[in-house]
Amino acid sequence: MTGFRPDATELGDARRRVEALVCDLPQRPGEKSFDEPWELRAFAMAVAAYHNGQYEWSEFQLSLIESIRQWEADGGDADATPWSYYEHWLTALETVLAGNGVLSDATLDDRTRDVLATPRAKNHHEPHYEPVAVDPAR
Amino acid sequence: MSTTPIRPPSVRTQEEIAARVKALEAIMIEKGIMTTEAIDRITEIYEKEVGPQLGAAVVAKAWTDPDFKERLLRNGTDTCRELGIGGLQGEDMVVVENTDTVHNVIVCTLCSCYPWPVLGLPPNWYKGPEYRARIVREPRKVLRDDFGLDLPDSVEVRVWDSSSEMRYWVLPLRPDGTDDMSERALAGIVTRDSMIGTGVVPAP
Repeated sequence: MTGFRPDATELGDARRRVEALVCDLPQRPGEKSFDEPWELRAFAMAVAAYHNGQYEWSEFQLSLIESIRQWEADGGDADATPWSYYEHWLTALETVLAGNGVLSDATLDDRTRDVLATPRAKNHHEPHYEPVAVDPAR
Repeated sequence: MSTTPIRPPSVRTQEEIAARVKALEAIMIEKGIMTTEAIDRITEIYEKEVGPQLGAAVVAKAWTDPDFKERLLRNGTDTCRELGIGGLQGEDMVVVENTDTVHNVIVCTLCSCYPWPVLGLPPNWYKGPEYRARIVREPRKVLRDDFGLDLPDSVEVRVWDSSSEMRYWVLPLRPDGTDDMSERALAGIVTRDSMIGTGVVPAP
């Protein structure tokens, strides 16, 4: 039994469906998919919002292309604004959601400040120095 | 609709942008545009591709450099920083070593504290109430029934509870038959689950 783990075939099928969706987008650099956890979260949110009917995939695609194009038009200076594919991805997602009237930049800015100001887990700041459980050898 | 970016990417720290993604998710969920479950289902497909290669590099170095290993076990946070691997401020990482007689496994009983800088994104089951409760109550049984890891009775199982102040992760046993492997090749065989403690590194 593998109670916590989804079936590998099911995951493979789901992955093929997502890959079919993203294969027409500007390519991700390198062979590694994600460097930071937030990148995967942003990736998944764009797919989930699309599945939920929030926008046409082509809208997102155009928005992503436009964000990257603008970075290149600004000189693509990696010192001024380092290349981050998923920052463009996030910008594209914010742009289509704002364009469809479901998000405002100001609301998101405010909410981001709240997140930064809040400890990630309140009342959970004590280090635990001993094992929480031990199952001894017999 | 306009496709002009509402705000061009600017130089932001990883912490700032991670907070922005989190804020966006919270707003979308409040508005009923998507559910956490729907996002989780998609991240699940890719979760193994985020991050654990950094932890694997640390493990491989510890296996091949005894001084490094000693420093790592004494001070996980500072020693990982030697390799340019570090987390957000205020978090200590503690590395617990598996031996022939002790097997360690990590959990966050309250939420989902996890050593992100070395292991990347936590798998969904790590965040779930079932794993968090059962791994404490019956660790040996959970490892066997849910993860296919049947530990001999001679091995003590220790479960470590991570919090936002102190995050544990596991230095797994180096498998037999790997004496000739380079540090780089060794890093390639270290699995994420072996650093959580729900698996061991299989012999190549």
